[in-house]
Amino acid sequence: MAFPHRPDAPELPDFSMLKRLARDQLIYLLEQLPGKKDLFIEADLMSPLDRIANVSILKQHEVDKLYKVENKPALSSNEQLCFLVRPRIKNMRYVASLVNADKLAGRTRKYKVIFSPQKFHACEMVLEEEGVFGDVSCDEWAFSLLPLDVDLLSMELPEFFRDYFLEGDQRWINTVAQALHLLSTLYGPFPNCYGIGRCSKMSYELWRKLEEEEDGETKGRRPEIGHIFLLDRDVDFVTALCSQVVYEGLVDDTFRIKCGSVDFGPEVTSSDRSLKVLLNAEDKVFSEIRNEHFSNVFGFLSQKARNLQAQYDRRRGMDIKQMKNFVSQELKGLKQEHRLLSVHIGACESIMKKKTKQDFQELIKTEHALLEGFNIRESTSYIEEHIDRQVSGWPGLLGTVCHGLIPKDYRSLKTQYLQSYGPEHLLTFSNLRRAGLLTEQAPGDTLTAVESKVSKLVTDKAAGKITDAFSSLAKKSNFRALSKKLNLIPRVDGEYDLKVPRDMAYVFSGAYVPLSCRLIEQVLERRSWQGLDEVVRLLNCGELAFTDMTKEDKASSESLRLILVVFLGGCTFSEISALRFLGREKGYRFIFLTTAVTNSARLMEAMSEVKA
Amino acid sequence: MDCYTANWNPLGDSAFYRKYELYSMDWDLKEELRDCLVAAAPYGGPIALLRNPWRKEKAASVRPVLEIYSASGLPLASLLWKSGPVVSLGWSAEEELLCVQEDGVVLVYGLHGDFRRHFSMGNEVLQNRVLDARIFHTEFGSGVAILTGAHRFTLSANVGDLKLRRMPEVPGLQSAPSCWTALCQDRVAHILLAVGPDLYLLDHAACSAVTPPGLAPGVSSFLQMAVSFTYRHLALFTDTGYIWMGTASLKEKLCEFNCNIRAPPKQMVWCSRPRSKERAVVVAWERRLMVVGDAPESIQFVLDEDSYLVPELDGVRIFSRSTHEFLHEVPVASEEIFKIASMAPGALLLEAQKEYEKESQKADEYLREIQELGQLTQAVQQCIEAAGHEHRPDMQKSLLRAASFGKCFLDRFPPDSFVRMCQDLRVLNAIRDYHIGIPLTYSQYKQLTIQVLLDRLVLRRLYPLAIQICEYLRLPEVQGVSRILAHWACYKVQQKDVSDEDVARAINQKLGDTPGVSYSDIAARAYGCGRTELAIKLLEYEPRSGEQVPLLLKMKRSKLALSKAIESGDTDLVFTVLLHLKNELNRGDFFMTLRNQPMALSLYRQFCKHQELETLKDLYNQDDNHQELGSFHVRASYAAEERIEGRVAALQTAADAFYKAKNEFAAKATEDQMRLLRLQRRLEDELGGRFVDLSLHDTVTTLVLGGHSKRAEQLARDFRIPDKRLWWLKLTALADLEDWEELEKFSKSKKSPIGYLPFVEICMKQHNKYEAKKYASRVGPEQKVKALLLVGCVS
Repeated sequence: MAFPHRPDAPELPDFSMLKRLARDQLIYLLEQLPGKKDLFIEADLMSPLDRIANVSILKQHEVDKLYKVENKPALSSNEQLCFLVRPRIKNMRYVASLVNADKLAGRTRKYKVIFSPQKFHACEMVLEEEGVFGDVSCDEWAFSLLPLDVDLLSMELPEFFRDYFLEGDQRWINTVAQALHLLSTLYGPFPNCYGIGRCSKMSYELWRKLEEEEDGETKGRRPEIGHIFLLDRDVDFVTALCSQVVYEGLVDDTFRIKCGSVDFGPEVTSSDRSLKVLLNAEDKVFSEIRNEHFSNVFGFLSQKARNLQAQYDRRRGMDIKQMKNFVSQELKGLKQEHRLLSVHIGACESIMKKKTKQDFQELIKTEHALLEGFNIRESTSYIEEHIDRQVSGWPGLLGTVCHGLIPKDYRSLKTQYLQSYGPEHLLTFSNLRRAGLLTEQAPGDTLTAVESKVSKLVTDKAAGKITDAFSSLAKKSNFRALSKKLNLIPRVDGEYDLKVPRDMAYVFSGAYVPLSCRLIEQVLERRSWQGLDEVVRLLNCGELAFTDMTKEDKASSESLRLILVVFLGGCTFSEISALRFLGREKGYRFIFLTTAVTNSARLMEAMSEVKA
Repeated sequence: MDCYTANWNPLGDSAFYRKYELYSMDWDLKEELRDCLVAAAPYGGPIALLRNPWRKEKAASVRPVLEIYSASGLPLASLLWKSGPVVSLGWSAEEELLCVQEDGVVLVYGLHGDFRRHFSMGNEVLQNRVLDARIFHTEFGSGVAILTGAHRFTLSANVGDLKLRRMPEVPGLQSAPSCWTALCQDRVAHILLAVGPDLYLLDHAACSAVTPPGLAPGVSSFLQMAVSFTYRHLALFTDTGYIWMGTASLKEKLCEFNCNIRAPPKQMVWCSRPRSKERAVVVAWERRLMVVGDAPESIQFVLDEDSYLVPELDGVRIFSRSTHEFLHEVPVASEEIFKIASMAPGALLLEAQKEYEKESQKADEYLREIQELGQLTQAVQQCIEAAGHEHRPDMQKSLLRAASFGKCFLDRFPPDSFVRMCQDLRVLNAIRDYHIGIPLTYSQYKQLTIQVLLDRLVLRRLYPLAIQICEYLRLPEVQGVSRILAHWACYKVQQKDVSDEDVARAINQKLGDTPGVSYSDIAARAYGCGRTELAIKLLEYEPRSGEQVPLLLKMKRSKLALSKAIESGDTDLVFTVLLHLKNELNRGDFFMTLRNQPMALSLYRQFCKHQELETLKDLYNQDDNHQELGSFHVRASYAAEERIEGRVAALQTAADAFYKAKNEFAAKATEDQMRLLRLQRRLEDELGGRFVDLSLHDTVTTLVLGGHSKRAEQLARDFRIPDKRLWWLKLTALADLEDWEELEKFSKSKKSPIGYLPFVEICMKQHNKYEAKKYASRVGPEQKVKALLLVGCVS
């Protein structure tokens, strides 16, 4: 199992350069403030920073104490304060309050704010309004790409999703364009570009502009990555909202993977301490199971355990020399593997325990039913029950995205939700609607061509009745049509063998091929959007799908099989797994660039209104 | 070639000075130079003449004429002087003409007589009038020093960044000093002045008397003083006809000379070469020119006409009505090669090459001689260097030919010095041309740098030549051609007689998409000339929309700026424009503008959400966006308000807004929340505990958990909680309480709307198998198996 890469799979570019670049830049910025200084770090930046420069590196550059930026007065007694923050107004107020407190106390210190990944005018405005602009020096740390894994780059900007898709705020687009520009300067131009969605298009255009302004630099470089595909999250909300059943996705849903690592609590480690585990290709056990359907994982792990035992057992009957060899060379590796194995077995157990509690099977079944579009009524009541019982999770949304609800159901669902979770979620619903996650079907606008033809044939009265009947069924929505057009629900004769996946649907137990991944597959096959006009129309992206090929054919066949997929608004581990699978099938390799790794819970949190 | 050294004049044993003609002047001067105020800029710069100065005659009816000529005498500008009396003229380092008026106002003119600006040297100067003024050059720029009628000095070290400095008083100074000069030492400007036999040095703080070391006795007055080009040396001319030469710090004497002429010289300037040990001063009288150095004899020239001296980095320029000459110390390389009977390698090589051309075998002999001494490399270098110092192209050529000839016999001679010299000479010959009239020497050219030279060509509007030079030297486009084209365009927009369309088209045709050309800079210039329409047309060509924005804002085209900013995709830029608009427009118009720009609107909303909540409300109000207004008040109800009354009031406003938005559902939900809040408050008062801010579900649960079943049911009825929910809720709560008796009673109150399987499940969760079994029997047939499995009755 654990699909090995095809022998002809192209080599991935070395992304560790990005880390080095970010580190050097940070050090340079720190050295701009010579002498001892205290560093205040925004909580969201802590994990990414840790991946770039650890404490000892910071200490080498005269960082004295580290503080978290939080709404508390700082106890620092240092004469120089350095703030490493995201460009948020909230942070500016914090800095301003610190400076003003010092001023009141008649104290003068040096303050420096380093914005990552860039500074915004609004931030400086706030500093100015608070009257501290002159006291603070500002700098930018253009750290926008963190390689989480050999094939996964994250911008670590979870707020991108809410800012753009809900608030319509386009300020991060520039950051995306800059990041793409950086990639193309480091790894050569991209000969083939595709994209879909408004944000993708804007980012792409801005990026092109940047390249034009600085042309000459990338010219003549051989492209290392043959294709780039940009995709807006709102093109496919459905996939992101599905409960994940691939191991890595499930771990993310259950324990939350943060910046490429996860904190396993005592219930996993079966000790009283929790354990921080880095999840990437270097973890030999994990790399074999990360893309597997969960139902296979346990079997695989136990097989692995048996193998391990067998290797340990070889000790018996060894002579001294062999034993010496074994201890010095193999034992360490085996021990390491042993440790990893026990961690993942613990994680599996814990997942199983949690998931049965929540009627995981039921949930998955409902989701699949919704995806396929039958038993809507039953599913709706299942969702209602969920809400009634205050079981966390949002399966309800999935259905609403797929089909749009008839007003009655929608209203009752909302009422129930508000009763369970409080009235502030009235705003959450309004947010969901604005972002296009919740759609309420207006009666009458779902008539298909067939229906209107029927209504023309019969008398008015009868026609009325027929339309009523149709709209109450309310099964016609774009998702249905898309699903049919792109064959997202595979027809299965008999059981879908999850051990030997046939298509990308395996990431959802064979029930559904992720829409986003299918789009990418189709476009790559055609090398353009040609022939997908209907699909693009159904996605409401009429003008927003683009293809751009450069004529010059300097790209090697190797590079043409490397594809950079850019998810604007986040991608899920399921999508990553699905595309990795596609890559193996077709001999491609995918590289993922996402604004942040996301899942259904994170999407919902981004939309939720919470009391401060 | 024997006569080549004919114009060489030895000074002492080691140095030769030569004087050669640069141009025969083309100007048609009506007056004598001595009747004019004269100023000539260094580095072969232009010459300004102001005829008919006031000091001579008071014929006010005749307006004086200010004329500007190139170094070759070609007229550049001529204008009637309409301002006040001028005391002194001088050129700044940027080749701007500074005219110091008697009232202390300095008028600044461009090379082409275009008025640039003016500034005053202060009130004190205005009151006491200007007696004398000097323009001097420092490392910061150009300075002005003024001697006022009250015998006080005021100076500014940099006219670009005007800071006036009034120098301290000289004690007991009753009359004007006999001579004075501005000195620059350690980046500070000083004044050195002579009063009778005394010398004083003025700096910011004090006035100190100084004495030159080794000054001959018997001096009763200093008639002239001269500071060298680099401010390193000083020369003093006394009334005894004695010249003292030393360092400007007055710490060291270099040499002295007695010329026995007691008449005050007209001019005295230094004539030295960088890195040369020779020091010499050129002194000019009416008809006599004398080069004086560390030698018992001086070199004397006769001046046929009234002449004017211009000190240069490596010599002195002398111009008169008819000629323009250059006097300098012969450079080492030239001296070695051309000195009579020189056996220097360069001289031999030159000779060898000449013989070679004559097809004489002597060429070989000379060459062998050099090679035997192993000096061929040196010979080639000498020839190349000497070529640089030659003014005449034929001499340059013959020296370069010699160098090229010698190079053939060398294995590894790096070619770049030769190539570079050829290129440099070509450029120098081009600009020395009569029509261009910039007589730079090679050393001056190197000191000035090609960039500055290009700037000066641009200043003279010699765009084609500048571009040719750039192309010839293969300068990068951004530094070279593009920059010049941009300057050309900036000049072009000033041609007021050409229509906006024609100018814009002409500029675009020439510039196209040349990299490094900023259309916005050109547009800014057009706007500066008052051609707003042209500026907007030019901005259209600017490919980076971000660059267009600042100028558009300046031109008060804020709305256009906003759409350009949005086009650029740079949200910061949009934000800048927004703030600008906010201040410029009244609130209503501002909001209307926003309304048409959704991207700007959402950006501004984001900002308001954090910084200006009230504005946000106004924004929604303006748009009649009742839905958002409702949401706004709902948020306020829990985020901003503390008191229950306030919160209810906020919710009421929200509900009203929702009604207006025709969102009945939201309105109803809000009203329910108002009811709930009031109720929760009452519950807190009556029962204690916390209820406020719990959801309806949690409120009921809390009541059940607290044993207030009646109240809970009342609430459920009031708020129409569906049966299913109530059952789930009570089931969970009672199980949590482990109140099995009550649970059983509850289960029997009526038929369960959620079936009995949940009962089984919840009992098992609390590990109460006994209770679970009770309910297992009541589970419907389709779920019976599951229930039994749960309880563990597999049989």
